[in-house]
Amino acid sequence: MLAREAADFYWMGRYVERTEHTARLLRHQLTGLVDTPADELALGWRVLYRTLGQSAPATPADADEAEAFLIADAYTLAGTLVEDRMVPDSMISCWRAARANASQLRPQLPLRVWTCLNRGYLWIRDCDFPGAWKVSPAELVSEGIDRLRLLAGVVGAVMPRDDAWRFLELGRFVERFQHQTALLDTWDRIGCAPGQRPALSWADLLRVCGAYELYCRRHAMTVRRDEVLDLMIRNPEVPRSLRFALHRIESMLMGIDPLGNRHPLAPPHRMALRLAAVLEADSGDSDNAAPAPAGESGLFERLTGNGQALHDRVIAAYVDYPIAEGLPT
Amino acid sequence: MNASDITSTDGAGNGRNVAGTAGAGVFAEYDLDSRFFDELFEPDGTARSATRRLAGALTRIPPEELARVQDSVHRLFLHEGITFTVLGKREVSEQIIPIDCVPRILTAAEWQHIEDGIKQRMRAVNLFLRDIYNEGNSLRDGVVPPDLVLGCPEYRVEMRGVRAPHDVYVAVGGTDVVRTNDGFAVLEDNMRVPSGVSYMLACREATKRALPALYREHRVREVSAYPERLYSTLVSLSSRAGTPRVAVLTPGRYNSAYYEHAFLAGQMGADLVEGRDLVVHNANLYARMSSGLRRIDVVYRRIDDDFTDPVTFRGDSMLGAAGLFHAYRAGNVVLANAPGTGVADDKAIYAFVPDIIRYFLAEEPILANVETHLCRGPEGLAHTLDNLQDVVVKEVGGSGGYGMLVGPQSTAREREEYAERVRADPANFIAQPVLDLSRAGCFVAGSLQPRHVDVRPFTLHGRDGQHVVPGGLCRVALAKGNLVVNSSQGGGCKDLWVLRG
Repeated sequence: MLAREAADFYWMGRYVERTEHTARLLRHQLTGLVDTPADELALGWRVLYRTLGQSAPATPADADEAEAFLIADAYTLAGTLVEDRMVPDSMISCWRAARANASQLRPQLPLRVWTCLNRGYLWIRDCDFPGAWKVSPAELVSEGIDRLRLLAGVVGAVMPRDDAWRFLELGRFVERFQHQTALLDTWDRIGCAPGQRPALSWADLLRVCGAYELYCRRHAMTVRRDEVLDLMIRNPEVPRSLRFALHRIESMLMGIDPLGNRHPLAPPHRMALRLAAVLEADSGDSDNAAPAPAGESGLFERLTGNGQALHDRVIAAYVDYPIAEGLPT
Repeated sequence: MNASDITSTDGAGNGRNVAGTAGAGVFAEYDLDSRFFDELFEPDGTARSATRRLAGALTRIPPEELARVQDSVHRLFLHEGITFTVLGKREVSEQIIPIDCVPRILTAAEWQHIEDGIKQRMRAVNLFLRDIYNEGNSLRDGVVPPDLVLGCPEYRVEMRGVRAPHDVYVAVGGTDVVRTNDGFAVLEDNMRVPSGVSYMLACREATKRALPALYREHRVREVSAYPERLYSTLVSLSSRAGTPRVAVLTPGRYNSAYYEHAFLAGQMGADLVEGRDLVVHNANLYARMSSGLRRIDVVYRRIDDDFTDPVTFRGDSMLGAAGLFHAYRAGNVVLANAPGTGVADDKAIYAFVPDIIRYFLAEEPILANVETHLCRGPEGLAHTLDNLQDVVVKEVGGSGGYGMLVGPQSTAREREEYAERVRADPANFIAQPVLDLSRAGCFVAGSLQPRHVDVRPFTLHGRDGQHVVPGGLCRVALAKGNLVVNSSQGGGCKDLWVLRG
């Protein structure tokens, strides 16, 4: 496929994943609006904004970040992340960007996938956020999540397992890897810092990641930080674990360039292997010892840096490669 | 429907209600006007023989059901993103082309007449283009004034001495055909990058879904093979052994016809490339794939000549590929249509197409031209300026309904300003009478009303001859009384059913 189309599929996957990630975090936060203490809510907004890389709302000069989220109202904070077209990572902006990528892929994209994505975009474009806010704000983002999952289902059902699909999936899981890294890091450092009051619960992190039930089955209803982090970092069966995302990335890269056609081992492959090694190196003996505190060991810092490098190498290897390197022999 | 469904008509040209009986509610607003050929009804108000079945069905369908059908075709366009882009002064907006659910019907005989005329025109135009870029006989013999051709902005000196593969300069043509009480006539030729074929196919898909029984009963000729025909036409022009690789060259997603580019590329299994995807190396054209560079053999270009190659044409073009024309001249890639074909759809040259047909084919034109006055001559200029309120004035290189003056619908001030422009550069304008375009029934505001229409059939010209798709983009001016059918000017489209013989 065309290198530009590969990039479009890749970015489409990233934007769709980003939209869902934002929506999942928001749904959790908005569900808690009815019965969560104000200071805990403010902390939740702070973690959410940090995770998504959004700057804190404007505040008086003498207020710090924590106070900024106490002062700001939930309607504005949520609206910024749902319907503000000027915010690049808001749900509507990401959906629009995914649709823009998809619109350049019409020859490659099955009609059903396009229609599903397009209808989702038309829905969020035309949705009445102020009206929905009065009824049930969480319902709005829940519907968004349902539409994104429908899209994922349609993609899974109708797209051939060719390079188009692989680049789409690659984008999704690179995005997931980076976002989950940011989420775990922020939750650990800000949401649940030792001795901090109020603090976010680790059970809520599991709920946000759809892994609470699995955790309870594997461990107990008493949720422990180390076990949560171990599950969300290294468990290959949890769809939102870093290990799961990395497996998918490796698998997609193998499909795109199975023999390392143009490189002894393509740089993205090498970076994916390096990331796997980072996870392994920090795992310790899971049966006998708890993993080292991730934030303190700098694991998340290394994963963040390597995640970005992985993205750069994907683009350099398949999209922006030097012309001379691509000429047929 | 029978005569009792239509109460009366007025031969004097004043509109009069043609419905009124119980059960004929959707025709309540349908007024016949003898100035305009009506595609549904005879002047006496009875349905034409070819449309009797359709008119009868429309009478039986309750208006709310027809509204549902109209809504369903609109939704199909909305959800599938069948759009065109409108460039505003400040922003780019993506719009759904308005579609009317009621098809227009042409008989087999009517279609045969159009098809023969278009094929004749296409053959003549290709011979003309070969001639003006090579031998120049028609210019020497005064068929067309040489200064008109050589001074035409679309004439490409770079093409002099270049023979297009198999002498096919225009591989894909679109011809705008109108009908008046005098019969069919050609309003415009589109020999550069005619667009609209995807809307033709989308309209057909929508009406087939919305009116399946009616479609089946009418024995309509199929248009769905167009992409396949287009592909085989393009491939036939390549001399590359094996299976030539085809690409559709698009300016990108902000182009008004981007949907169509993507649609055709998808249907043909071709790469939809932009200039930035292309590289010319050793006079060969390559596309930048994710796995390296891959050679391209045929380019179906949907960008104007000027932007095709910044080395040969406009140096500031970001849309084409540097060296593409060099690869074309070397015979390593086919460009369809060839550069320089815009001469043939210049509105001043259009006036000479009947003479071109007579000169190259020794035949009389099958389809008439619309009377055209060239402002470049003193008589034409005087005629235009004296009758500005009664004529349509167009720029010779214009398209899309932009930059034209429709005299009867203009204000005195607009005419004054336009006259200034014409006086300043007379050679850039032509004038034509306001045509009494035929009208077809459209579902508007809950009832059926007549609206002006034209049709753009598409012709493919390959190594083995020509093929005209039995159908076309039927454009409709949806505003009452409006004569401009271009989508960029608020026009919509409807399906055209060509009946089997």
